[in-house]
Amino acid sequence: MRLGLLALSFLLAILCLVLPASGADQAQSAAAQVTVTAVTLDPEVFIAGDTGTITVEVMNNGSQSVAVRRATLVDPDIRVLSQAYDTSMYLGAGNSMRFTFTVMADVPEGIYYPAFSLDFRDAGYLRYPVKLQVQDQRLEVSVLDKPETFSAGKKDTVDILVGNPRDNAVNGVVVYAAGEGIDATPTSYFIGMLPVDGSQKVSFSVTPRRSTTLEIHVDYKNGLNAHSEVVRIPVVIGESKLQADPILSNIQVNLEAGTYTITGDVTNAGLEVANAVVITSGPGTVPTDPYQSYVVGSLKPDDFSSFEITFTAENATSVPVLATYKDNDGNLYTRQTLIGIPASGSAARQEAGSSLPVLALVVVLAAVTGAVIWYSWRKR
Amino acid sequence: MFPSLSDLLIRPERFFAARAAEAPDFRIPAIIVLCGAAISAAAAFMMSDLYAQMFAGAAIGGMGTFLGAISAVSAFVGFIIIWWLVMAGVFFLISMVFDGKGAFQRTLVNVGYGLLPLVIGSVFTLALTLYYMPRVVVPSVRNLQDPSAIQQAILGLMHDPAMREFTQISGIITIIFLIWAANIWIFGVRQARELTLRNAAITVLIPVVISIAYTVFTLVFGVPVPGGT
Repeated sequence: MRLGLLALSFLLAILCLVLPASGADQAQSAAAQVTVTAVTLDPEVFIAGDTGTITVEVMNNGSQSVAVRRATLVDPDIRVLSQAYDTSMYLGAGNSMRFTFTVMADVPEGIYYPAFSLDFRDAGYLRYPVKLQVQDQRLEVSVLDKPETFSAGKKDTVDILVGNPRDNAVNGVVVYAAGEGIDATPTSYFIGMLPVDGSQKVSFSVTPRRSTTLEIHVDYKNGLNAHSEVVRIPVVIGESKLQADPILSNIQVNLEAGTYTITGDVTNAGLEVANAVVITSGPGTVPTDPYQSYVVGSLKPDDFSSFEITFTAENATSVPVLATYKDNDGNLYTRQTLIGIPASGSAARQEAGSSLPVLALVVVLAAVTGAVIWYSWRKR
Repeated sequence: MFPSLSDLLIRPERFFAARAAEAPDFRIPAIIVLCGAAISAAAAFMMSDLYAQMFAGAAIGGMGTFLGAISAVSAFVGFIIIWWLVMAGVFFLISMVFDGKGAFQRTLVNVGYGLLPLVIGSVFTLALTLYYMPRVVVPSVRNLQDPSAIQQAILGLMHDPAMREFTQISGIITIIFLIWAANIWIFGVRQARELTLRNAAITVLIPVVISIAYTVFTLVFGVPVPGGT
């Protein structure tokens, strides 16, 4: 009887030792079915200093639920701003669960692997390194075309190309031009999302009032992080190389009753259209009818037209002739040409007055006549 | 000895006294008058070239030739009529106040002789015309339909410095030789109309002074242009 009790006790002891060991094995095998199925980074690629999120999705592929005690994300360089998941929970069979962590990549450019760790209550833990890329390359802003010289009050076009050389798309891209003394249209240009290796051309009509600096701003978002790029273009006010250039030629000057008539051709030697071309005489002259001024109208590049103006001028050997015209924006330009004219008064008077021999002849004739008359009366 | 043309110029009383007994002979006076008329016609023709230039802008073909012909004929006829016939007629009429007795033919002949200084003066005037004309800046008229433009052009020509100087000097020369001619006319009219020297001088000087006064007036105030200022 005593022998039987000993054998039963031994059997129970064996069972006590063996049964717990088989439960732990089951938990281990169940935890082994939990895998990371997806990792999502927002933004996909960080810029140094960016704040973003890392979402890790795990799934229980087994037939038993698994007790989870803690989920953490750790890295010696990347700062994890959010708390760890410390609440015990069960991940049911066939279920998945997401763990999102807020991180700040205040690190130099490079690739980092913060470790996602999922601790099981009844088993070990799942450790998964997450790839996090930090790229410092910003959006590329290129000036495709701009006038070499700006003209005050004249509208010129500046073409901008915004390119994305990064390994991820950026969104919320807005381009706008700014600068003191500058009017730009459109005031801003919304591009939206710029994909990887994508680019977008933007044109601004810029009207400067003085020499200044044109700033092209490009604002965009990388995930939640706002970024901005600026390109500065010096705006130097001067004479445009393309602007219209009315040249006067084939000039003929006639003097009619003290009124000068200048006829000739005006040719647009510039590369832009000259609108509302008007020819008139300049300072020092008095424009007279019938052609106080001559309206030529519009002249395309290389076009020419004849003109005729009438004016009076005193004591002048040359007079300025003004060719005024407007560009497409209505800005008024004036080109002055000096034209030599024959003297109308003083010079001609000086030439005519230099006839002293004629006056001497008159005096001699008067003397001879007087002498003859005196003689005829004396010798009657 | 028969008096020569030099006697006519410097001793006119002796010249006309020697011819008083002869019948009036128109040949030499006519030659003198025709020479004077021809020279005046030549000068007028040259002057008309200025007007031809003025209207050249109006592109009227033959305008210059037409103007020249009209001017030359007018000057030729005008010289004969005004300086010879009219002057002789005026002298004849005025001398009637002083009981002048001679025939009109004699007056006409003697007045013709007296035009010799004016012919000489015309030569000088012609030379001055050649001297001054190239210096004149001639306005041009482009539109004959515009009277104001024509008037302005004529005023411009008149006010041209060279033109004004030519007008003044030629006027003075005309006055000088007119005085010389008047001196000859006094003795010619005296012989032709059998007047006293005083009455002959009055007869001649009345129209001559009026003529000189008109010439001086035009020299000072210019030739009035219709519509001009």
